[in-house]
Amino acid sequence: MDVLDQLGAVREGKLSRRRFIKELTAAGVAVTMVPAGARRAMAASEDQATFFTWGGYDIPELFQPYQAKNGELPNFSIFGGSEEALTKMRGGFVVDVSHPCNQALPRWVATGLFQPIETARLSNWADVMPEIVALPGNDAGSGNVWMAPFDWGQTSVTYRTDIFELEGEESWDMLWDQRYGGRLGSLSAGADAWWCGAIKAGVDFADIATEEAFEKIAAVMREQRPLIRVYTDDTTTLEQALASGELVAAMTWNSSASLLQAEGVPVKFAKPKEGALTWVCGAVIHKDAPNLDRAYDVIDSLLSVETGQFMINDYGYGHSNAKSFEAFDEATLQGLGLSKNPLEILQAGHFQVPQTQEWETRMNETFEQIKAGF
Amino acid sequence: MVDTPHPNRSAEAGAPMPRTSRLTALLHRSEALRGYLLMAPTLLIMTLGIAIPFLILVAMSTWTRDGFGFDTTPTINNYLRVWTEPVFGALMTRSFWISGVATVATVILCYPMAYYVAFHVHRRKMLWIILMTLPFWTSYLLRVFAWKVILGYEGVINSGLMSLGFIEQPLEFLLYSQEAVIITLAHAWAAFAILPIYVSLEKIDRSLLEAATDLGDGPVRRFLRVTLPLSMPGVIAASFLIFIPTTGDYITPALLGGPDGAMIGNFIQLQFGPVNNWPMGATLAIVLMFWITAVALAFLFLTRALRERLT
Amino acid sequence: MSQGTYIKRHNRALQIYAVVFLIVLYVPVLFIPLFSFNDSVYVRFPLQGFTLQWYGELWTREPVWNALWNSVRVGAVVSVISTMLGVVAARAITRYRMPGKSALVTFIMMPLVIPGIIFGVALLVLMSRLGVPLSLYTVGLGHLIFCLPFAVATLLPRFEGFDPSMEEASMDLGENGWWTFWRVTFPMVFPGVVASLLLTFTISFDEFIMAFFLTGTDPTLPMYIWGQLRFPQEFPSVLALSALILIASFVLVFVAQWIGRVGLDQNKETP
Repeated sequence: MDVLDQLGAVREGKLSRRRFIKELTAAGVAVTMVPAGARRAMAASEDQATFFTWGGYDIPELFQPYQAKNGELPNFSIFGGSEEALTKMRGGFVVDVSHPCNQALPRWVATGLFQPIETARLSNWADVMPEIVALPGNDAGSGNVWMAPFDWGQTSVTYRTDIFELEGEESWDMLWDQRYGGRLGSLSAGADAWWCGAIKAGVDFADIATEEAFEKIAAVMREQRPLIRVYTDDTTTLEQALASGELVAAMTWNSSASLLQAEGVPVKFAKPKEGALTWVCGAVIHKDAPNLDRAYDVIDSLLSVETGQFMINDYGYGHSNAKSFEAFDEATLQGLGLSKNPLEILQAGHFQVPQTQEWETRMNETFEQIKAGF
Repeated sequence: MVDTPHPNRSAEAGAPMPRTSRLTALLHRSEALRGYLLMAPTLLIMTLGIAIPFLILVAMSTWTRDGFGFDTTPTINNYLRVWTEPVFGALMTRSFWISGVATVATVILCYPMAYYVAFHVHRRKMLWIILMTLPFWTSYLLRVFAWKVILGYEGVINSGLMSLGFIEQPLEFLLYSQEAVIITLAHAWAAFAILPIYVSLEKIDRSLLEAATDLGDGPVRRFLRVTLPLSMPGVIAASFLIFIPTTGDYITPALLGGPDGAMIGNFIQLQFGPVNNWPMGATLAIVLMFWITAVALAFLFLTRALRERLT
Repeated sequence: MSQGTYIKRHNRALQIYAVVFLIVLYVPVLFIPLFSFNDSVYVRFPLQGFTLQWYGELWTREPVWNALWNSVRVGAVVSVISTMLGVVAARAITRYRMPGKSALVTFIMMPLVIPGIIFGVALLVLMSRLGVPLSLYTVGLGHLIFCLPFAVATLLPRFEGFDPSMEEASMDLGENGWWTFWRVTFPMVFPGVVASLLLTFTISFDEFIMAFFLTGTDPTLPMYIWGQLRFPQEFPSVLALSALILIASFVLVFVAQWIGRVGLDQNKETP
């Protein structure tokens, strides 16, 4: 290992011991002094709530009321899929607020990692649309809920209208189109992709847990695998690839299409003839949330009309606050693929159904194997 | 010389207190004991950090996932699955293939560089060594990311070739492929090849080379008969230093590999993440270690046999 | 170096190769500072124009500083502990005859020949079985195990080339054990200690895969950068910080080299 020794000799040569100690002290002082300002700021940010969420939800626009009240933004921690998030929290990762979706909710609640949300503490609760509060497994008793619904939307195909030659109607077949092999993209989490595969395979979500459905969906996913250039949980990667033409179509959420359109990229968020995948996501509070009051501020901020209008206008998502829609006329909403009546959209697509942990694990295992080429 | 008993020492250290003096006397008498005592903290930490985790890892590899918990009845099912389901073997083979190619490429590309500095640079050798190792002070993650920028669809290579008119469409195979992983690994680990090879070249007695020249060997023959064999220890060390860590690499395939470039490290991580099958992850880690040991031993054995044949 | 006379001839091809090699080595690395001045959130060509905006914003990015501070703390503690343990271990190995010594040395060196992912996984399993919550301490433990062999390997040659009669002379002159160590042993192994501190700090500072498995709520800098690679909201600031770290380490290496030369000159003047 004289290599390393040599490296060391290169680096330090022959410092005297006294000089070394002097320098070490100086370095120590430097380390404690330089980031002093930064650390003071840190001390402040440690008092803010931490929001553990999907990439793209960590932006100031969603937290204006929070910032107005607490002077700063909450802290963010980002995950790529709800399974990843749950695994991390089960491993001892403590946050204030996290962000599951209706399909995962019962399993999240079953881990005992979350506390009921006292709806009375949320100033915007009265305006939340009751239809999307009443999700399976969301009732925490005495008027409280486990998850405060926040955003709802679709998983569908975003495609380049200028490059992708549409044959007939918009359909999930677009992501299985042999002509564009190697130029299609997909979200990597089974929580989206597998369900879209189910739609493509014609499996009713009520039967998704059956053995037959499993085989059918796996076959469809295997068929798609060689056509996919990249599976990613980072929507920015998909958006950039669509913008550059590296991809001609990709499985995305509403926001990717809206953001790309705002940048002038000719894309469209498809309305597949088989129906899109629909979901409702929301905020939950960790049972050991270190900043409980601010956790409620985060949720209240998410439910506010200001946030809702941004979500609708800039991201193209639905929002849980009925009043958020008032600023938009029906035509604008139609253009965004939304409606003032969320059920109209959610029922028109395929609404995800909660599954058991066993199914979830088996599905992820199979899907990862398929992604690896088997 | 070291072992000569020294009356001064024990008298000096333990004079005031008789009981400690007996202890120190014992310590002084048994140098092995003193040695063990000195190493104790290190060994304790290594035991805590290596031996115990490994025992638990082995134990866990015999368990079965059960919802969020584990069924701890021992079974070899996980190992059977690794053996029978093709995905595991294929990923393992692919990992060894990718890091093997990367290792060979790195060593071959770095050898002339080390040779140049060892034999053709006469002044400021240290400057050259620093120059060669400086890039490795930057974050590994960012170096890998930089390659993504270079190889990307709108990356340096594609935009360069397109503006020069060599290609019409960007080359898509550059990114999200095994080649991308290999190129990046070769670049990222270059220092680990240059330094050991340089050291072994530097150690070569120059008079041997002159002797070879005097005996009528041309430069090529001299290189093959003297320099190369004598620098083999460096080459072997470099190969190990690169091959072993890269087989378990996670970052590079995750960022640049795409679906076809995924390696076993990514799959192990998945077992602990979304797939949520920790026992399977533990099994894969153990199987990976087993194969690395096997490959390393085979490599050592081969090089030793080869050297014996040569000398 | 004058004995290398036999090979006086310049090898033009090799020289060109060396220069090309260095260029290829540096170009990817230099993209980091290059893009940190680029006036676009997206890291792609063509460049959009010069800006110092990201460096300005860096001061307001608390998570970046948090992560940097976490990494510095972990790195400092790990480098000091692993070097201290390395010193005693290297001393024991070189100084005392012990049965089973080579087995012990092999055991200590094991992390050098095992991919980090296996250690990360093994420690994660251990921590979760013990019910220890993941934190910077668990990352530190992981890094300590990973760094110890490097510390021992760096220090061993120093102790091997060490003449024990010096210590004995000191003892004979009536110095006690601790004083002897501090006055005689330590200065002699000192360059090795510095090298070990630097090396272990660098390794810990850049280590990713163990931190990936063992980090709790506080990310280290590589973990933070990883998050930014996947979800690039503040990525240009990360590039700016990395460029600063890059420059700092370049300067450090050169200063170290310069001091080393000054030290050498002084040694020559006052033998």
